Amino acid sequence: MIDPATSQRLRKDRAALGGFALVVLLVLFAAAVPLVSAHDPWTSDFVVGVGPAGGPVSPGRAYWLGTDRIFRDELVRLAYGARLSLFIAIGATALSSLVGAAVGIASGYFGGKTDFVLMRFVDVGLAFPFLLLVMAIGAALGQTTPTTIFVVLGLTGWLGPSRVVRAKTLQVRNADFVVASRALGQTTGRILLDHVLPNVAGPITVLATLSVAQMIVAESVLSYLGAGVSPPTPTWGHMLFEGQEYVLVAPWTLLSPALAILLSVIAFNLVGEGLRNALDAGQIGRR
Amino acid sequence: MRAATLMLAAGLVACGNPFPAPIGSAHPDDAIPRRGGTLHRGTFADVRSLDPAVASDDLAAEVIENIFAGLVDYDASAHIVPDLAERFDVSPDGLVYRFYLRQGTRFHDGSELTAADVKRSIERALHPSTPNPSSSLYDTIDGYAAFAAGKADHLTGIAVEGRYVVAIRLRETDARFLSVLALHSLRPVCASGGDRYSDAWEPCGAGPFKLVHGAWDRGLRLRLDRHDGYFRPGLPYLDAIEWTLSMNRAGELYAFQDGNLDLTHDFGDTDLQTLRADARWSPFLSPEPDRTIDGEVMNTEIPPFDNVEVRRAVAAAINREHYRAYKPESLSPATQVIPPGVPGYDPHFVGQSYDYDAALLHMRNAGFPYDPRTKTGGYPGVIPYYLVRQGATEYTAQILAQDLAKVGLRLELHLVNWPTFLSLVYTRGTVAMSAPGWNTDYPDPSNLFESLFSSRAIAGEQSTNSAFYRNARVDELIESARHELDPARRMALFGEANRIVCDDAPWAFTDTRRFVDVTQPYVRGFAPHPVWTFDTASTWLDRPTSAKRSTLALLWSRPRSLPTLLAATHARRAW
Repeated sequence: MIDPATSQRLRKDRAALGGFALVVLLVLFAAAVPLVSAHDPWTSDFVVGVGPAGGPVSPGRAYWLGTDRIFRDELVRLAYGARLSLFIAIGATALSSLVGAAVGIASGYFGGKTDFVLMRFVDVGLAFPFLLLVMAIGAALGQTTPTTIFVVLGLTGWLGPSRVVRAKTLQVRNADFVVASRALGQTTGRILLDHVLPNVAGPITVLATLSVAQMIVAESVLSYLGAGVSPPTPTWGHMLFEGQEYVLVAPWTLLSPALAILLSVIAFNLVGEGLRNALDAGQIGRR
Repeated sequence: MRAATLMLAAGLVACGNPFPAPIGSAHPDDAIPRRGGTLHRGTFADVRSLDPAVASDDLAAEVIENIFAGLVDYDASAHIVPDLAERFDVSPDGLVYRFYLRQGTRFHDGSELTAADVKRSIERALHPSTPNPSSSLYDTIDGYAAFAAGKADHLTGIAVEGRYVVAIRLRETDARFLSVLALHSLRPVCASGGDRYSDAWEPCGAGPFKLVHGAWDRGLRLRLDRHDGYFRPGLPYLDAIEWTLSMNRAGELYAFQDGNLDLTHDFGDTDLQTLRADARWSPFLSPEPDRTIDGEVMNTEIPPFDNVEVRRAVAAAINREHYRAYKPESLSPATQVIPPGVPGYDPHFVGQSYDYDAALLHMRNAGFPYDPRTKTGGYPGVIPYYLVRQGATEYTAQILAQDLAKVGLRLELHLVNWPTFLSLVYTRGTVAMSAPGWNTDYPDPSNLFESLFSSRAIAGEQSTNSAFYRNARVDELIESARHELDPARRMALFGEANRIVCDDAPWAFTDTRRFVDVTQPYVRGFAPHPVWTFDTASTWLDRPTSAKRSTLALLWSRPRSLPTLLAATHARRAW
């Protein structure tokens, strides 16, 4: 999929490389910190974790990022939050890309009634503000787990990508090599797999990378508003909510999740932009 | 991204003590109260109704206490004293309460208060067409049943015995009658209130302050002006009290710092801790009495809490100091049913406390032994625990889950919104465990025991006995206390009920809760009231009006707290 010219363009893109490095760091942070930390994210420490004024202890030797409002290790909670955010964001993106690609290709390639029905459905879905839709489904589900969040985000996030894939498929459908394949008697399945899919793979990759960043934000917003994963499971959005009341006395409780969200969104956006430029995917994903 | 950057900036510049020096008292050595000025009170709450017959929310009580005076009232020590009545007496059999009204007392509309007004107001409040949430508190008044059922036009138990004398006859002795009479429900209202409730009526009573037409901008502001005809000469000192309603916490904090508010009790523990540590501010923090009891309620009809040993294990497994550590300014560890701000509280009685070994023993006795070394055993199921999304219990529940895991009880937290929580927790057979808490309606132990632990309070829906707890001896003690007129013997009955409930553990009592009032230094003669939040009769301002600093001055005095300024400007615009 990645030809030499593309990879050369990517290697020259410093911003994209920076983004890659940040993503790698993020994954390492999520994977390694809980393994090496002396603390676990669920247990309060009412002795060392309490600061002199009675609030959370500030960052120091015992707790590198301080403790939260019920005296749990902020660093290890942040790392668990990273695992959860990455799991949800990547899982939801995979799901939404899969559904989006399938719907987009079917709609673009077959056209006619299939196209009409699928696209009207997409229109209706896009008419709802994304987060409102997600929150409504989240509220209707009641008890929410990481899996329900990723399914909800995944099943609502495919609408936009399906539009892009459909447009690209429309271009490819009447290209000479597709017409030739059809004339040679290749089955529809083969044509879709051999010719259409490779040609829409670029845009899908770009969209998916950018979508990871969006999903991280969406998951954080849901958790911040209280519609996300239930405590005591640590999530960045909920940590942000917990920290806001303490901003004046324990700013680290707000700053650490805020920075984590900020950096991971920047990282995935840089990678996405880099991929778009390298794959020469034009305006895809631009707003 | 822009929002995130702003937040980052806010966090970086706002480190350190966020409170500026207080606006000083103008005449700190002046002991004689000055008249005049408007007291500005901020609150996150709102008021739905100011009609004493139907109002039920906490903030309404604070406002109604200023508009309506009663035959009797609670004084600064929560004792019952005559108010509109000059004096009262009780017949030897304890059935007839006779009240002698002060002559010449004026309502806000200028008319004189008479015994007929008292009778009319009581009948208005208890009439079946009035949606009075507390009417059942008065069911011992003679003729109540027939009147409440709509079978009688008048309450036979209320007799006008002269222009200034009114008698209330009870059908049986009721030791808490004066305690509930001192509440707001039956307070005399002006003739404009009529003899039937109407939600269009503009509140008018005989209290120290009056509500002028147009002074209540619903959801935003409420202003009360001094009633010049108030029956206590020279009082109140204040010209007016103004509430800013429905404020968000940050807006309230900044408005207080800015000098736009003189009094609040909504500060969070972090702010209170900062103020407490600041010698300039610490004298102006006044904790209200603890009248709220919190506890982990265990539904005695749902496993595993149908087993008393499991309940005892929970009561012994909870380290109350952990709850206190979460909110040290507003929570104190609880060891019994009665909080310290309610009569009957025994400071020497420890009915429940943290004892880890005892908790393990109770689990063994219950048939669910747990081995802390191997972390095996315990109750095999997962216990669903219901709590309000983003409320204070979100944190105490997580602390609880940690404590209970150490004795082999696993909780699963179910976060729901407030209306769902209310409908679930008070419905039979629904919730195994939750912590709804109880804010005592009046300072008397009968309110706690009758509402929370009497089998008479069990209902299919809206059951205030949310543990669905029944104990024949406790029922008997509650009933005896209701008819016991000797205060010492009555408290002894509640003492025994207290011990039984602590041992049976339908609740694991965790903490008592209080508000902390914060005033500006120029607010003088202020004291938190044990029942009505604060006492306005003795409050005065030693500046003619509260000092307000301009936005520019605020910027000048605190150049490092730009976000504070932005929020303050926003808060002011919101007014």
